[in-house]
Parts: sequence; C-alpha cells; structure tokens
Amino acid sequence: MASTGQSLTSLKKREATTANNRDGDQLIITPLGAGNEVGRSCVYMSYKGKTVLFDCGIHPAYSGMAALPYFDEIDPSTIDVLLITHFHLDHAASLPYFLEKTTFKGRVFMTHATKAIYKLLLSDYVKVSKVSVEDMLFTEQDINNSMERIEVIDFHQTLEVNGIRFWCYTAGHVLGAAMFMVDIAGVRVLYTGDYSREEDRHLRAAELPQFSPDICIIESTYGVQLHQPRHIREKRFTDAIHSTVSQGGRVLIPAFALGRAQELLLILEEYWSNHRELENVPIYYASPLAKRCMAVYQTYINSMNERIRSQYANSNPFEFKHISPLKSIENFNDVGPSVVMASPGGLQSGLSRQLFDRWCSDKRNACVIPGYVVEGTPAKTIINEPKEVTLTNGLTAPLNMQVHYISFSAHADYAQTSTFLKELMPPNIILVHGEANEMGRLKQKLVSLFADRNTKIITPKNCQSVEMYFTSEKMAKTIGKLAEKVPEVGETVSGLLVKKGFTYQIMAPDDLRVFSQLSTANVTQRITIPYSGAFAVIKHRLKQIYESVESSTDEESGVPTLRVHGQVTVKQESENHISLHWTADPISDMVSDSIVALVLNANREMSKVVVESEPVVSEEEDARKAEKIVHALLVSLFGDVKFGENGKLVISVDGNIAHLDKQSGDVESENEGLKERVRMAFQRIRSAVRPIPLSA
Amino acid sequence: MGTSVQVKPLCGVYNENPLAYLVSVDGFNFLVDCGWNDHFDTSLLEPLSRVAPTVDAVLLSHSDTLHLGALPYAMKKLGLSAPVFATEPVYRLGLLTMYDQYLSRKQVSEFDLFTLDDIDSAFQNITRLTYSQNYHISGKGEGIVIAPHVAGHLLGGTVWKITKDGEDVIYAVDFNHRKERHLNGTVLESFVRPAVLITDAYNALNNQPSRRQRDQEFLDAIMKTLRADGNVLLPVDTAGRVLELILILEQFWEQHKLAYPIFFLTYVSSSTIDYVKSFLEWMSDSIAKSFEHTRDNAFLLRHVKLLINKSDLESVPDGPKVVLASMGSLEAGFSHDIFVEWVSDTKNLILFSERGQFGTLARMLQADPPPKAVKVTMSKRVPLVGEELAAYEEEQNRIKKEEALKASLIKEEESKASLRTELPVNDQMVLDANNTHSSSNAIGQRSEAFRDVLIDGFLPPSTSVAPMFPFYDCSSEWDDFGEVINPDDYVTKDVNMDQMLMPVDGDLAGKLDEGSVSLILDTTPSKVVSTELTVQVKCSLIYMDFEGRSDGRSIKSILAHVAPLKLVLVHGSAEATEHLKQHCLQHVCPHVYAPQIEETIDVTSDLCAYKVQLSEKLMSNVLFKKLGEYEIAWIDAEVGKTENGMLSLLPLSSPAPPHKTVLVGDIKMADFKQFLASKGVQVEFAGGALRCGEYVTLRKVGDASQKGGSAAIQQIILEGPLTEEYYKIREYLYSQFYAP
Repeated sequence: MASTGQSLTSLKKREATTANNRDGDQLIITPLGAGNEVGRSCVYMSYKGKTVLFDCGIHPAYSGMAALPYFDEIDPSTIDVLLITHFHLDHAASLPYFLEKTTFKGRVFMTHATKAIYKLLLSDYVKVSKVSVEDMLFTEQDINNSMERIEVIDFHQTLEVNGIRFWCYTAGHVLGAAMFMVDIAGVRVLYTGDYSREEDRHLRAAELPQFSPDICIIESTYGVQLHQPRHIREKRFTDAIHSTVSQGGRVLIPAFALGRAQELLLILEEYWSNHRELENVPIYYASPLAKRCMAVYQTYINSMNERIRSQYANSNPFEFKHISPLKSIENFNDVGPSVVMASPGGLQSGLSRQLFDRWCSDKRNACVIPGYVVEGTPAKTIINEPKEVTLTNGLTAPLNMQVHYISFSAHADYAQTSTFLKELMPPNIILVHGEANEMGRLKQKLVSLFADRNTKIITPKNCQSVEMYFTSEKMAKTIGKLAEKVPEVGETVSGLLVKKGFTYQIMAPDDLRVFSQLSTANVTQRITIPYSGAFAVIKHRLKQIYESVESSTDEESGVPTLRVHGQVTVKQESENHISLHWTADPISDMVSDSIVALVLNANREMSKVVVESEPVVSEEEDARKAEKIVHALLVSLFGDVKFGENGKLVISVDGNIAHLDKQSGDVESENEGLKERVRMAFQRIRSAVRPIPLSA
Repeated sequence: MGTSVQVKPLCGVYNENPLAYLVSVDGFNFLVDCGWNDHFDTSLLEPLSRVAPTVDAVLLSHSDTLHLGALPYAMKKLGLSAPVFATEPVYRLGLLTMYDQYLSRKQVSEFDLFTLDDIDSAFQNITRLTYSQNYHISGKGEGIVIAPHVAGHLLGGTVWKITKDGEDVIYAVDFNHRKERHLNGTVLESFVRPAVLITDAYNALNNQPSRRQRDQEFLDAIMKTLRADGNVLLPVDTAGRVLELILILEQFWEQHKLAYPIFFLTYVSSSTIDYVKSFLEWMSDSIAKSFEHTRDNAFLLRHVKLLINKSDLESVPDGPKVVLASMGSLEAGFSHDIFVEWVSDTKNLILFSERGQFGTLARMLQADPPPKAVKVTMSKRVPLVGEELAAYEEEQNRIKKEEALKASLIKEEESKASLRTELPVNDQMVLDANNTHSSSNAIGQRSEAFRDVLIDGFLPPSTSVAPMFPFYDCSSEWDDFGEVINPDDYVTKDVNMDQMLMPVDGDLAGKLDEGSVSLILDTTPSKVVSTELTVQVKCSLIYMDFEGRSDGRSIKSILAHVAPLKLVLVHGSAEATEHLKQHCLQHVCPHVYAPQIEETIDVTSDLCAYKVQLSEKLMSNVLFKKLGEYEIAWIDAEVGKTENGMLSLLPLSSPAPPHKTVLVGDIKMADFKQFLASKGVQVEFAGGALRCGEYVTLRKVGDASQKGGSAAIQQIILEGPLTEEYYKIREYLYSQFYAP
C-alpha cells in the first residue's frame, strides 16, 4: 500500500514540477529604474529560479524615497547576486539602502576600484545631502556596514554563485567601470552599464566580449547623436576657457566629482603647461573628495590604459602642477579671472551652485557644462539659455554668463553603439538608461539596421517586464562505469543523476564518491527478539510465507541460521533470543518487519503447533483479487473508472477518455497528457500489486 | 574516451633544480614553468632545448628565477617561440627579477647568456591574465581552457588549471594555504577530484612552527643583533618573498617606534615597490580592506629605505642596520658583497629566510654545523687603464676597421652596376651604417674618424677600369655660414641613442633606476677582476622558513582533500618525493607517478564518458533531492536519438527494473548525536559507538576521515533489541540519507 501512496504524491509533484519547468525556461528582465529614463539604474533579471540584479542607483533629480528604483516590485530576499557596474550615484547609490533596509541577503560584487571610490563618494553624498534633504535614505554607518558585504571581482575573473556564472569586461566609462556578462544554464546576458568605446587620456576603451550574448542590455544615453571627434571637443573646451579668462572672466565647470573630472583635469593641466601666458590664472578644483580619491587613482593604474601607465612610470600624472584644491567658498579668494571645477555636475546644490549664483549675471563669465546632464536639474535648464534663472534664495536673476555645452561624458554615441552591436550580434537587445525620445529614435535606427536579422529590440519602461523563452537543452555527461560502453538506441540507462549548478552527470552509485563530494553509506541492522521456542518452528513458518529460505549454520558459533529472501539472516543467538541481521533497503526492511511479526506471533501461539492444510489459492482467485485492487486504486486516482469491452477499463477525466488494457498496460486516449498519466499510474500500481521479485 | 594527457619533466624532478615540465593535452604542448638556477647552468636546459620548438604555449606560475629564469635564454637560443601566459604581477616582477639577475651577474662576470634586450623581447609577448579568468585557446588547442588561480606563495603566483571537455589538469607547485600579510591562501582546496594534479614534493618532509611563533623568533633574532650593535643581512629574492619580510619589519618598526634603519637593496628595488603598490588587487583581503577604508597603501613604506646602489649604503653612517639584499643564494648581487664584508664580525647576523639553492654559498652556510670558513670569489668590474685600455682600443679599432671594410666592400659590390657619380651617395650610406654600429659604443666615434686613413687601399673598386687607390670625393656642401648642417642627421642620432636607452617596453626606460641605467650605458671599457679569498665565518647564521610554502602536513591533508584521480609528483629531493609518493599511494589515490627527467608518463584518465541529452519528458518526471550543493535523483531511461544524432534519454516505456538501494549522504557521528539529542533521545558516546537511548547502539566502521578523503563507503551498524526506540532511531537515521 505504501508504494501506492508514494505514486500518488509523486504524480501530484510531477504536475507541479512540469509547471515549474515551463516557468523555468522563462527569462524575465524588468528595469526597476533607468527604463526610458536616465538615472537610478537597476535592472532585474530572473531565469531558471536564479535572480540577478544589475546596478542599484538613485535618480539624481529626485530626493528621498522617490529617488530609489522601484524595489517594491520585487522580493529582495530572492535575489542571488547584485552586480554594480561603476561607482556613479545613478548606478550605486541606493546600495546601502538596499543592503541595510531591505530583506536582500544575496551577494554583491563590484570591481576593486569601484569599491574603493564607492565608499568615499557615498559618504560625501550623505554629507552633501544632509544640507538639502531631510529624509535620508541611509547614514554613514549604513555605508560602512555595506562595505563589509561587498565582494570584489577583477576584470575577466569568472565567478560562480549558486549556479550563476559571471565575469566582467572593461567598460571605459570611468575608473573601474565594468560590463557584466552573466551566464545562467548556458543563456548569456550582457549588461553594459555605462560604456564608451573611445580611449581617452586615462581610460581604456570598452572591450568587445569574446562571446556573443543571447541578450544585450545596453545603455542608450546619447541615442542617435554622434560625438564630435575627441580633439575637436578638447579644442572647443580649451578655447572657450582660454577666451573667457583672457577677457578677465571666470569659468565655472560644474562636474561630477569623480570620473570625467579627472579627464578634464588632465586636459587642463596639459593645456596650462603648454600655454605659459595662462600661468597666472589659477585653476581650482573644489572637491576634497577627489583629493581623497587620488590614492585610488594612483593605485589602480592597471585598470587604466597603456598611455597613463607609461606616464606613471616616470611621474604620477595625477599630481597636478597648475591645479590647486579648493575647500569651500569661504576659502575662495574671488579676484580676477579663474577656472573653478566644482561638484555637483547638475548644479542642484553645493559649491557649484553657490558659484553659479554668484557669477551668472556677469556676461564676461562662462559656464562650461562638460557632461551629460540629467533631466530636471538646473544644469539642464541653463543649457537652453533662458533669460532668467531662479537662484537658491528664491530670487530671479538674469542669465548673462555664457553657457557652453561640450560633452566629455564617456557614453557611447550612435556610431559606437551600432558598431558594438553589429560586432556582437545579440539576437535580443534591451535598451535602458536613456530618455524616452532618444531611446525611441535609437530603437528606430537599430530596427532598420538589423532589419534582415530578426533581432528583437525592446525598450521596456520601468517595471515593465520583458519575457523571453529559452528552451535550453539539458545535456548530461555519463561517466565512470556506466559509460564504459556507449549504449545503442533502445537500451536502458539506470543510474544516479547528479546535478550541480547547471551541469548534469549520470553515474553508477559506486562512482558517486569518485566524481563528487557525496558519499554513499551502507546501514547494517541487527535486531534481537526474545523467542524461546524451537527454531524449527520459525523455519517452518517462514517457509510458508517466503519462497526462499535457506538454512545453514553459523561458522563461528555453530548456531543454526536462516537466510530469508536472500537478504535477511535469522540466527538463534541463545535459548531465549533470536537475532535478525540485514543490510538496510526498503525490501529487506519490509521482509525483516514481517519476520519480526511472525516471530512475535509464534511466541504467542507457542502452545499449539498445528500443521494446517494449506488452503490452495488458485491462480484465478489471485488474479481476481489483484484486479479488484487495481480497480480500487485507479478509482482513488482518477475517480470515474468503468469496466469496458474486452476487459478494458474506461477512465474518464474532465471529459477526456482513456482506454486501459489491463493485460498489456496499453493506454489509448485522445489526450496525450491523460494517456501518459494513466500509463504511469497503472505501471506503478502493477508493480505494487505484483509479488516482489526475488532478484533485487 | 577521456582527454589524453602526458607529462614529461624537463628539469626539476627528484631534486631541487629549477622547474620545467612539458604537459601535453590532446597533443597540445604546454611548457609549464621555465626555470633556471642562480648559476645559470646551461646543462640543465638540455632537455628543454630538445623540445623547445614543439612547445605550443608556456605557462608561468611564479615570478622567481626558479620558475621563469630560462625564458629569455630559451626564446633566444633554444627556439622557443610559443605564446606565454602569466598573471600581471608575475610578468612585472618576473621582468624585474631578470633585470636584477642580469645586472648582478654583469657586475661580476662576462655574462653573455642573454642581454637586457633578450629579457625584454621574451617578456613583451606575455599574455597577462587575471585570477580565475578562463582563457579559451584558439587554433591548435581549440577547446582547451586555461585559468590561473591563487597559489599564495608569491605575489601573482599561480595554480594553473587546464580544462578540456570538463576534465581538469591542475598544475600546483609551491602553493601556500596559509593566509599571510600580503597574500591570500591558495584556492587549490576548492578544486575537487581533478583528473590530474601535478604538484611538488619540495616541502613534504618539512613542518613549520606556527606563524606567530616564527615571526616572533625572527624579530627577536634581529632585535638582539641590533641592540648588540651588529648589522643584520637578509639575503632575499628580488621581488618575491621579500615583500612579506618588508611588511613584517615595517609593522614591527611602526609598533615599536624603532629608529634602526632598514634598507632594501637590489638593482630594481624602487621600481619593485612602485609596481607592487599598484598590485593591491592581487594581495590579501586585509590589505585591500585597509586600503578601501583608509586609502593607506600597505607598501607605502615608512621605515624601509630603497637603495639601488651599494655606494648609497656605504654613505650611510655606521651603526646597526638591517639590509635586505638580493640574491638569496649569495652567489652574486649585493648580498654577496655585503656578506663578504660582514661575515667576519661576530656581532653581525646573517638571517636566511629561504633554503638556498643546491650548491650555492647560501646552502653551504645553512649546513649544520656551518662551515668555519668559506672560500669566496670577489669580482669587480673595473675600468680599463693604461696598457689594457690601449690594447682594448686597438682591438676595438681592428673590429671597427674590419666592419667598415666589410661594409664598404658590400657597398662597392652593390654599386658595381651603378654609375660612378653615385659613389658619394653610397659613401654616405656606408657612413650611416657605420654610425649606427658604433653608436653602441662610445669609442666607436673615434674609430670612425680614422676610418678613411686606416682603410688599406689595395682593393680596387670593382667599377674602376684600372687598379687605383680608393678615392672618395668629399663633397660636403658649404654655404655662407660654413658646412651645411642637416639637423635631421642629429635628430636621427638622438633617436638611435634613445632606442638603445629604452628597452623595447617603452615605460621601462623611466623605471630603470639610475644605477642600472648607468650600468647599461656605462660603455667605458672595463673588465672583471676576480680574487679568491677565504673568509672566516664568525657572524651568527640563522635559517628561518619564510618561504611561504605549505608544509608537509598541510600538503598531505590538502592532497587528500583535493583527491585527484591521478597525481604526478615533481620538484623535491629524491627522499621527499619518495616519501610523498608512498604517503599518497596509501591515502590519496592509487595512481601516483613520479617520473624521471625526460620520462614521458601517460596520465590519460581511464575515465569513460559520453554525452547525452536529457529529454524534457524524462526530466519532468525526475524528482531531485538537494544534498548540499548537489541535487541527485535516480533515473531509469531509454536511449534514443535526437534529430541531430545526439543520444538522448527518454522515459522508459516498460516498468523500471529494480535496482539496489543506495543511501547517499555523509553522516557525522557528532552531528547525528546532536540531531538525536534535539529529538529528545538520550545519546552518548561509549567505546567508539553511539549509545542511543537505553539499548540501541550505532557504530560506524571504515570511517571516511581515517581513510583519507572520501575514498571508502561508510559502513554503519545499528544494533538493538526489538523496541519501539529501535524503529524510531532507525527512522531518524534514514532521515539523514537520501535513498533514490
């Protein structure tokens, strides 16, 4: 009976797993942020029960909870791995919140340089936002705690967590920026983060991955725009600054403290050393943070390009001669022309805003915006050169200063994106990190570019899931004794299927310890039962029940023993005890249980030793009994079971009808699913009802 | 069939010679390590020279001479031309080690086995990988993946994993499982059951004291000497273990605010530390962490001064000091010179942190008891003076002359067909050719001036009709300001000089320390003067094991854990190799090989394997049971074929044949005891068995831990009288296993 119960549950479970498997082939990608917007990058991905989150940023134009990605869309506790591409706030700043204030318990990875700068940057962010924002997302302490949980990954290093394999490539955007390639059960997803395919003064260009991914999640910040060549941009930049300062004006460069600012400083430093006449014009870099980060820049030169590494060999290129640090606006002696680079880049608050308020109404002055500006920030507003601007104190002032917009932000432009995708050839492209319009235009252009290739290009909005199906073939490797000869079609293979991560191996049980860290065990059991009767009685009774009862004598003690069913040894230990001895397995356990019952019974009925005539049970009666049981079991499983023609059973479930031939086990049904189920159920019932074969 | 793997040692088996092994994986030849000793004994490389042209790829594991020293020579002289793979630190520090070796050698001998240029050209083609980067080899070795993993011995030190078709060949020599100040321990233990493991027996017979105790003794010995006004010499390698010693000293000096000076003296010490500073990614977690928190680079040295020149050391005022100088073998380099100076003073201490290579001075001094006196050769490069200089110049002139003559002959031959008017042009070219030649030598310039005079004119220009003296029309142009100067001529010369100055790798020019530059550029004729002298060994000599290798006991337990299917032992004294072989045969695996030099052994795994597809139909019926990181299930399946001819497994159409029950799981008695206790069963250990409740006992025979690894099937015996308890405990026991 026990086995029927088992087959029942396993049937149920099987249905559950079938459903699961179908789910398992579904790959879901959901942007929780940066879907049709720039800022708060956060992309959720799940496949085969494994979940990866890429980036964890905030939206720089919002504050407090509103700046977070839509974390409430997901269950943070299910995420296995969180991968951070680079240290910019819109990619990493909600990490302390996510680690400390949610149920997330997975692992976090970023590159060495990113981790080192991340801490400095976020501590600074906390300090700066204390001034302007009340509802803090996290504190300095949260950042320090998060440092403990962040693990590092080096470029190209392959790691595996919980069956998810991943590694990263150079992305070129800022120091330590990475593109992550994730491989789950053979399906590869590339997440570029912010990337640039152009080598600059200190960074390498983004690498082209060796393998083509199945899905490429790519940034679309610049959409279909094309960058001017680098040297032209540099010339415009230096010219704008040069002409302003030579006319006695002041230049404000609102820049994000880290990343592109270092590139601009390298440009300015070089320009100043080549132009002696500018020697008296001071350049200030108003970021104590950047000063602190210099050690990081000086250390991770191996993440930079050959150019800077060869310079480093002689002297540190990040030790500037013409640029001096500026602590705060109080320390700033504002007389005569000067160049000040100050953060934040969006002019929301802080020093760059203070200087802007002070300088904006003088037409000799200039503001050079050197990078991408996020929608909703004051910097974005002034690019359109309005007549008036609102100052931080609420007053309006005329905007007379010149505003230059020269982009140095290391994001890929259309030329880079299209060549990158053309070489990579991903069958699915998901665009994120771009304003809806830019993204739409890019999508149009890419669609026409890949028109002949059936490439899917998707631009999901925040929280809009992209679902894809990948039917990955499960391949197993049969090894060891089982594989001594490759089987022909039609032969059977029986063995242990061992799954580790997403690799399957089939092996004989004996080989388990050879090829895995698992081991097998044998449990030998010995049980003693009080029995004071004659041993022969037991022997006789056992013979009535079991086909095979061999008697012999124990070699050591000379006591008589019986071997029942080839597995259980019954031994007369003493006058009053017998012992059973067997190696545990379900059948032997059952046999031993029956022997125990028999012995106990024999104890009770000791007095009357009667030889009863064995009732002859005809084959026919046996078969009838079996049939009854089979029928009963089938009813319990399928409900409506009727006797049909030719000894067939008619089973109807939800209008589907199956005909079961009890003799052969053949099932006929229109419905494949039902047919399969009935066949399986009947097989199991039959194996339960039939006598246990001797050879097991 | 499995992947075919052959191993052929080329050097360094049954002894402590440098390491070089040929590992062929399906016919693709890897040369793993390419070492040389401090003597640069060419006879050691003979086996390598026989196979060098057939090598398809070179893998370097550590940055010291023993692991990569022969690379420049093999590339230049032995026809080795395969791509080389190493980690970034192995590449950088290896390069510096070779520079240091060359410069030390050049200072004391006419070293001509390879030049700095050979070192550069050998190293410039190294492909740099990061740890656990899977590099897919293309072309001939298609399908082979190589990946470096942390070895723990030296910065960037590598355990190589070569994978083909899921079978791993692991090369792990000189690994260290202990975490140190600047390095993480090896990850070797995370590899389980590789097909082949190649490892060394170097430390099989050594056991180490605890790190704390050893560090304390080390510092005590140094402090004792310093307080007694003595000097301490630590003969070290160029860029390997010395880093750990520097950190130990830095830390101790910082803690105790000591003022005794410490010097790190090699030809490349400042570049070494500069580069090491940028290798934080490769160092221990604690170093990375402290950098992330405080941005203090551990190698920003406050107490250790970097010297690249012995004269700098001499200019330091007298008084007790600690000097770390290369080479560790005392055969050459600064350590040799300092040793000779300090050895006869009883106050001084010479502290060896690693075992000297066989047959070196360091090894001799490490003998117990140490020799009373040793013979040393003091060699010095001195500039030539007087007659010698004259002779040298004459020799040089003769060479120049011959070259010039040859050159002009060639030119003349070339100009045979050309018109006579072209001669001056030709002449100009001859001069140019000569110029580039001589620029490598300072005095070349002078010989050039003599050139016209010295050419003996008995060879007729072939273009002339009749024999005549050679006559070159000096057609220099003049203008109002004198001879026309073509600035380009000078520019080219500068470039020539630059090229010579700058070894192939551009950024190295700046990195080469002044001292070494002066040595390279120092082309004043010089010679090596050697004097043999015997010095009395009076100073104290101590050897402490700072080699950063796992000791014998740990090696054995790591090997038992890794439990390779086949094990190859290399590098280690005959005694140690034999010892480890016997141990492993008993406790690790039945296939242990210790091949002789040039003996090819076949370690192809006898593992059979074939691939099948698991059909969706079958998989939907499989119920997995999770056991640790594995999931297992029993399957009975019928073999079928997919459309593209793959074998696939389909569900059986007939009832599955019965199979023998297997209990899968690893039961730990202690854990089970706790489990029972948590279920309210009284348990205690008694006489090696677990007494559960009143009568039932549970015993385990053939315990896995005793037999080394998971080599045996566990046998568990459950005994007891017929009671309810018996069945309860049996149920608990079954719950610990999975029976598919």
